[in-house]
Amino acid sequence: MNLDDWKSQIKRGTLEFCILLMIRQKPSYGYEIISTLEKYPILSAKENTIYPLLRRLLKEGYISSSWQESAEGLPPRKYYAVTQDGLEYITAMSQEWENLLSAIEEIKGADNNGNG
Amino acid sequence: MEMDKRLDLYLEKVEKYLKPLVISERVDIVQEIKSEMCELSANGFSAEQILERLGEPKALAKSYLGDVITRDSSFGWSRMLALFAYYSLAGLSGMVIIPCLGIMAPTFMACGIVCPIVGVVKMIDFLLGLHLPFLQYVGIFPESGVELNPLLEFVGCILIGVALCLAGWLCWKLLLRYIKTVSQTGRRLSL
Repeated sequence: MNLDDWKSQIKRGTLEFCILLMIRQKPSYGYEIISTLEKYPILSAKENTIYPLLRRLLKEGYISSSWQESAEGLPPRKYYAVTQDGLEYITAMSQEWENLLSAIEEIKGADNNGNG
Repeated sequence: MEMDKRLDLYLEKVEKYLKPLVISERVDIVQEIKSEMCELSANGFSAEQILERLGEPKALAKSYLGDVITRDSSFGWSRMLALFAYYSLAGLSGMVIIPCLGIMAPTFMACGIVCPIVGVVKMIDFLLGLHLPFLQYVGIFPESGVELNPLLEFVGCILIGVALCLAGWLCWKLLLRYIKTVSQTGRRLSL
């Protein structure tokens, strides 16, 4: 079955969106992002996916980063926050996401009608 | 916090494999992985578990380098054709445009400077009645033999001088613009 393959493709396409949404809610550091994503099996991804992705978003100017002191005994954490460009990007992505969902709904509906 | 030796070694290896990146970026990446290791460790992961999670140092470094490498070594016919077309066009146009503008810019400017000077000389010649040689060839329509009012010719010389200087300056700006555009496009294509 190709389901795993399909799921990983969906993950690849949506991870960026989800990470931006998370960072928009509140500035977060890598470990925090990874552990939150781990709550959702379809989105969970390891360090070697998330960190390079964050770096790319940083380079493209959608997010910014700053090192901040953390709890006792732990080294500083690199916090990521959404930039103005990032906010616009999220808005555009949300729009496309809505388009996709409504397209799927519509196609599903047409399918049901055809069957029924 | 005390780091396990194996984790330190791992970070060293990652840094080594990140060589293609500039040092500041490399340090930043390693620092962030180190922070991740500490967070994992503080949340009860053992050194073995951490190393297993992060995978081979080479693979982790590669995931950072991913787009750098593919950007540099990707080969495709469309890119190849674009490069070919670009360098042919840039080469051919450069062969004509660069020398032309390069000669026109200083020549126009030099003429623009000489023209008012000659105008001033002729003006002085007229005012003092010196009758210097060759000055009959200076003027707005010298070959037609029409001698205009010397004052008018003086003003004409100044205006033509300014116009020539402007033309030279324009050529110079065009040349700079051309070179800049060509080199920027080249850099973008070869990335």
